[in-house]
Amino acid sequence: MTAAASVLRGAATSSVLWAILGGLVIGALITLAAGHDPIAVYGEILAGAVVGPNLAETVARAVPLVGMTLVAAIPLRGGMVNLGGDGQLVLGGLVAAVVALYLPAPGEVRLVAAILAAMAVSGAYAALAAWGEVRFGVPLLISTLLLSYPAQGVSSYLARFPLRDPSTGMPETYRVEEAARLPVLVPGTPITWGLVLLLLVIAAVVFVDRRGTAGYELRLRGLNPRFVAYGGVDLGRQTIRTLFASGAVAGLVGAMLVLGDQFRFTDNALLSPAYTWSGLMAALLAMGEPIGAVCAGLFFAALQTGGFAMERATEVPRVLTLVLQAVIILLLAMRHGLRRR
Amino acid sequence: MAFLEMRGIVKRYPGVLANDRVDLAVEAGEIHAVMGENGAGKSTLMGILYGLVQPDGGEIVIDGRPRPFRSPIDAIAAGLGMVHQAFKLFDSLTVWENVVYRAEPRRGPFIDRAAARRTVADLARRHGLPIDPDARVGALPVGVKQRIEILKALYRDARILILDEPTAVLTPGERDGLFQVMHGLAADGRTILFVTHKIHEVMAVTDRITVLRDGRVADHMVTAETDPQAIIRAMTGRNVSLKADRAPAQPGKPLLEVEGLTLAAPGKPTVDGVSFAVRAGEIVGIAGVAGNGQTELIEIVAGLRAADAGAIRVDGRDVTAAGVAGRRAAGIAYVPEDRAHTGTALRASATDTLSMGFHRRPPLSRRGVLDRAAMRDRARGLIARFGIKIPGEGTTVGTLSGGNLQKVVVARELDHQAPVLIAEQPTRGVDVGAIEFIHAQLVAERDKGRAVLLVSAELGEILALSDRVLVMYEGRVIAEVPGADATETSLGLLMAGVTGQAA
Repeated sequence: MTAAASVLRGAATSSVLWAILGGLVIGALITLAAGHDPIAVYGEILAGAVVGPNLAETVARAVPLVGMTLVAAIPLRGGMVNLGGDGQLVLGGLVAAVVALYLPAPGEVRLVAAILAAMAVSGAYAALAAWGEVRFGVPLLISTLLLSYPAQGVSSYLARFPLRDPSTGMPETYRVEEAARLPVLVPGTPITWGLVLLLLVIAAVVFVDRRGTAGYELRLRGLNPRFVAYGGVDLGRQTIRTLFASGAVAGLVGAMLVLGDQFRFTDNALLSPAYTWSGLMAALLAMGEPIGAVCAGLFFAALQTGGFAMERATEVPRVLTLVLQAVIILLLAMRHGLRRR
Repeated sequence: MAFLEMRGIVKRYPGVLANDRVDLAVEAGEIHAVMGENGAGKSTLMGILYGLVQPDGGEIVIDGRPRPFRSPIDAIAAGLGMVHQAFKLFDSLTVWENVVYRAEPRRGPFIDRAAARRTVADLARRHGLPIDPDARVGALPVGVKQRIEILKALYRDARILILDEPTAVLTPGERDGLFQVMHGLAADGRTILFVTHKIHEVMAVTDRITVLRDGRVADHMVTAETDPQAIIRAMTGRNVSLKADRAPAQPGKPLLEVEGLTLAAPGKPTVDGVSFAVRAGEIVGIAGVAGNGQTELIEIVAGLRAADAGAIRVDGRDVTAAGVAGRRAAGIAYVPEDRAHTGTALRASATDTLSMGFHRRPPLSRRGVLDRAAMRDRARGLIARFGIKIPGEGTTVGTLSGGNLQKVVVARELDHQAPVLIAEQPTRGVDVGAIEFIHAQLVAERDKGRAVLLVSAELGEILALSDRVLVMYEGRVIAEVPGADATETSLGLLMAGVTGQAA
């Protein structure tokens, strides 16, 4: 790496660190105002995130959160925004459940097919939103966000009626049998082979970003789309491909949650932890740079897991950690805004 | 003591001393040229005077009073006005609304529209700037927009006017009109700082000249006592010939053929049935005042914009349906008019900027995987071969001066060795040394048997380089003139749409 690039990288990192520090100070003031000891609260969060079995909890939570971070970071690298992560995630989970339940094949085959199908369907769904922009000029921001709702609606209907397991009182599908589930990676913890899949995806994204012609074209598009178009890149095709990759990762996350954690598709279960939005924030924190985004995603996962422990140990509600997350992003945005003057 | 003095102005940017103890003294009623190559520090100096840039040292004294300007608002209050190269106007508002903006005459809480219109009309009449106060700005030609910018400054009673490259967008006729206005303002006791590259304009209109080179004052001159060669020497520190040396063209077969290209627009087409051919071994110049369809025509030929009708052939192959990549593969290299917004990504490194368009094939990549070392090697090679002044190939290109940034673009495009080279405003805002270099490169490309299509609003450039000249006016090619027969006067008339005797 060249000197100038490392200086730039340094400046960016330091502004992230300042934002995190500032967020922690503001969080401490809020805690104080509510009559609690901020040191104790932060201690509980930290312990709740990394001590003993909590570390495994954090990793288990980080897998989907970091996955959804990549979903946002991949297009963001090229200056595009995918707000449809929720729809793509749900679609991936549903497709994975359906394939794992109904494909007439041995368990392992069903598992692999379920994951691939989830990725393909979610990728295609995101690419559909991209096509809306390319073909009809519907801004990606709008097309991804709005296509999210029909996906959620249709999945909800399917889980409630045609695919429903009537033996439970919940709007959910039948349970996927053991053989078609993602095997546990670390016995005694919720960590599954999903972690390995995610690491492979991270490695692939980082490699393409650093060394691939596609990554080069996407990164330069983020710096100046006109230049990339002038250089011969078909921006429309690039938009569709990028969104396909982004959506495919969302589908993978959905499949991992269904096949490795919940073992069935339950209406709304994939959305309630709001992985999409935490991931989007983490990706914004790193401005789409993949390694930075992964680190930010890990940090947020730790913060959230720590939040559960803190809520149990103190009287402070865990929404505090979500406030922290938001304040950090706001501070970072302010710093960028100030520097642009 | 002079009316306006800037004394010992120092401005440092990381790694660059943009202004190094610059002194500038201008009398009231004087037209003073500020000249220098790009990166010489003119823009920084004018930015400091107008309060846009804070100096690290030195002082500004106006009419005997030291004036530290923290912002343009301070500068305007002290009687400064600036006409920027890119106009700062609201297209959807009328002329008078633009002129009075932020200094509206009021009646109670409301704008006194009648008074505002009257004031603007009076002001325009008094200074010989004919204008309709009620016209929507967006629909007006650039020459008129410039008048509005001048009126804005006069409305705020500017005693010192900074004109930043004001003639770049004007026809010769509009330019002469501007010069008259400048003389009138000077006679009125106003001081004019005229920032420009164009030596003949400086000779024609100014009283004195300050030449900057590498951030320092190279010379203070009295216009009547100097000559163009002396100014060029002061700007570059050496002698430069602006006339490109070249042998007569040896045109071969047509490499670029364009037929009936049309780009529809509400009312009149922006590009209206344009046909021409550029043959191997010739430079064809397209002359015209900016905004007569040249930009759109070139974007269509390069594949950045779709035409509504017409055909394009490169070396006999129809590329009308091809995208940018297809046309580049067929043999078009393209130096775009806007190097900052189209030709480069300012926040990208020189390596990344120079690799664009070459990155999908060996040696820079294999099967979709980049060879970063090969990319750096190639960038280093081009930087050396084209004499690009840059600390290293990893430096972001946004830090380069205009001339060096343009060399980055030219280096990359010439390296394609494509049969057709489109050069659009290849030397706009580029210093004299780089102009000479780029012109020599274009002639060398021609002599290698390439077809060169040159688009320039700069008549001198068209005359110096073109073997044939096409004149564009309102979207159409209204004349074709052999390069040898073209003169500034004949082309100037054609550019203003006056046909009849020529063509």
